[in-house]
Amino acid sequence: MNIVAGCDVGSLTSKAVIMKNGKIIGSHIIKSKPRPKDSADAALDGALAAAGVSKEDIKYCIGTGYGREKIEFVNEVVSEIKCHGKGARWMLPTAETVIDIGGQDCKVMKIDKSGNVGRFSANDKCASGTGRFLEVMANVLNIGIDELGKLSAKAKEPITLASTCTVWAQADVIKYINSGVSIEDIGAGINAAMSGRVAILVNSVKPEGDIFMTGGVAKNIGVVETLEKLIGRRIKRARKADPQIAGAIGAALLSAEKVNGNGRKVK
Amino acid sequence: MKVFNDAATRVQCDSITRWKKEGKPVVGYTCSYTPAEIFYAADILPVRLRGIETDGMEVGDTYFGPFICSFPKCILQLAGKGKFSFLDGAIITPGCDGMRRLDECWRKAGEDFDGIVPDYFYYFDVPHKSENHGMAWYIEEVKELIKSVEKHFNVSITNEKLTAAIKAFNKGRRLLNEIENLRSKDEIVVSGTDVFAATIAGTVMPRDEYTKELKKWVTALKKRKTSLSKNKHRVMLVGSISDEIDLFELIEDTNKAIIAGENLCFGIRYEGNEIKEDGDPIEALADHYLGTSVCPRMYGKYKERLAMLKERIERSQAAGVIMQNIRFCDLHGAENALFERDLEAIGIPCLRVEREYGPHIDAGRMKLRINAFLERIDAKNDHKLSEAVAVSA
Repeated sequence: MNIVAGCDVGSLTSKAVIMKNGKIIGSHIIKSKPRPKDSADAALDGALAAAGVSKEDIKYCIGTGYGREKIEFVNEVVSEIKCHGKGARWMLPTAETVIDIGGQDCKVMKIDKSGNVGRFSANDKCASGTGRFLEVMANVLNIGIDELGKLSAKAKEPITLASTCTVWAQADVIKYINSGVSIEDIGAGINAAMSGRVAILVNSVKPEGDIFMTGGVAKNIGVVETLEKLIGRRIKRARKADPQIAGAIGAALLSAEKVNGNGRKVK
Repeated sequence: MKVFNDAATRVQCDSITRWKKEGKPVVGYTCSYTPAEIFYAADILPVRLRGIETDGMEVGDTYFGPFICSFPKCILQLAGKGKFSFLDGAIITPGCDGMRRLDECWRKAGEDFDGIVPDYFYYFDVPHKSENHGMAWYIEEVKELIKSVEKHFNVSITNEKLTAAIKAFNKGRRLLNEIENLRSKDEIVVSGTDVFAATIAGTVMPRDEYTKELKKWVTALKKRKTSLSKNKHRVMLVGSISDEIDLFELIEDTNKAIIAGENLCFGIRYEGNEIKEDGDPIEALADHYLGTSVCPRMYGKYKERLAMLKERIERSQAAGVIMQNIRFCDLHGAENALFERDLEAIGIPCLRVEREYGPHIDAGRMKLRINAFLERIDAKNDHKLSEAVAVSA
């Protein structure tokens, strides 16, 4: 049994994926704990339970994400940029440009037909344009982060956030709430502000071919649709797996390459 | 190497303290356009001002605006905290607009913090063009600086003393060039971190002591056999001003890369070039400090800068270039984008990152990007390998 795993410990969520012969047999997402090690253990345990296999069955496991250095059970660690490139290409075999919005940063990368990353760019300024921005805003609105994305479609007059600074934008949102603006219009404004930040990064990389989005924010339809308008390109959808686990999928695929000796040397 | 590490990682290193104990003056300067030979000729220790050891920014942020590079802010912060109390003088140059503002911000802070402005505080203007009028202007500025130093410190800086200073500095410059030659070989025996530390040390240590130590070190390096570059990617580090050993360590601690060359203003870029030892010493200094300088503050020199970078990439056999710019550094921010465009077009992978200046700042973010970049070079090499295998099959 060629069972491999990938574990992506992010700043907001941790994900684990178990794959067997190129197919996902189990995955699990948890909210990240204070210690990356505990997050990784919990995510993997969940994925193992879902797959119905034990830790001993895993031939190889690659760790990724900001907490990757602290995962104890992995064979090696790889950057999440590479893992998302690999995972994205598996989810959408025609993808050439990948937008990954994680909890604390946003990356845009170009990938080749094997999912290898070429040029890439990452946000360097601050937390705006990241999942954390949306999380903070959802908290202010007292709604779940999943609900935020759906608000754009129902908005009539979306607000414009004057600042892209997360803290100041939060103050702006509170002001709109207090002045009685509908939650839909506020939510749409938040999604648009987020898209605006990401669009700058996407344009700087000059996207080519099919564009695919990974990371938890890919599930926010409000952000995705506004971003499509801003960059003037369609962002392709894929139902093969949850885009939030793309990094962990990429890590599992890289693990499989190690096991299969697929042209890559084992270091 | 110990003495270099001390000089590279401490604002007031042991060499400076020893010099001060002899009762001799120390003058700080901010930019690579200041001819340090002038001070050597007057038996004054020239020390390049740095921003390391900063642990807060309350002074820097008070006098500078928010949209300014953190390097001059760190210098002011250290001044405000009394870390430059060993200075008898300071020379401020308009290396960039942020650095130019250090002149007025430091003076203004001096009104609120007693004794932080050295007795001798001089603004040394540097033109943005090196041709004709620009060169004549710079020579005038150098002469004015000499006069001013002579008057304040009651010294005499003759042409003979300047020529002797040029010769003394050239000894170190030649040695640094030997290190560059060593690094251009197929196997590198010295880490980029160590070379950078040794180069920075040259900007703060008394020159004769530095040259002596450097000679010993280069002799030892030549005997080294163990390769440090095996199975590692050779990379170049370029961009904004940096005197941070931590940045080099961050890259080399990945164990996947060795810094085979750099193009930084604290680095070997200019320090490795000799200055003419015959003829008029002031003109020779001007030819070197202004004439050969092609940093982005100089107008109309992009082609020269690109050519120099390409030459350095070739010499160091770098597989990729890491381009960093400190936030709000317009000069290198714009320049790095152009370099990236032109180098990627000829197949040289580039990583462009924006960061804050200061030890350990942004370490996690930087590390992620550097790792991903090295993986990109991995994939490129694997691709080349598989192509070669396919051809041979």
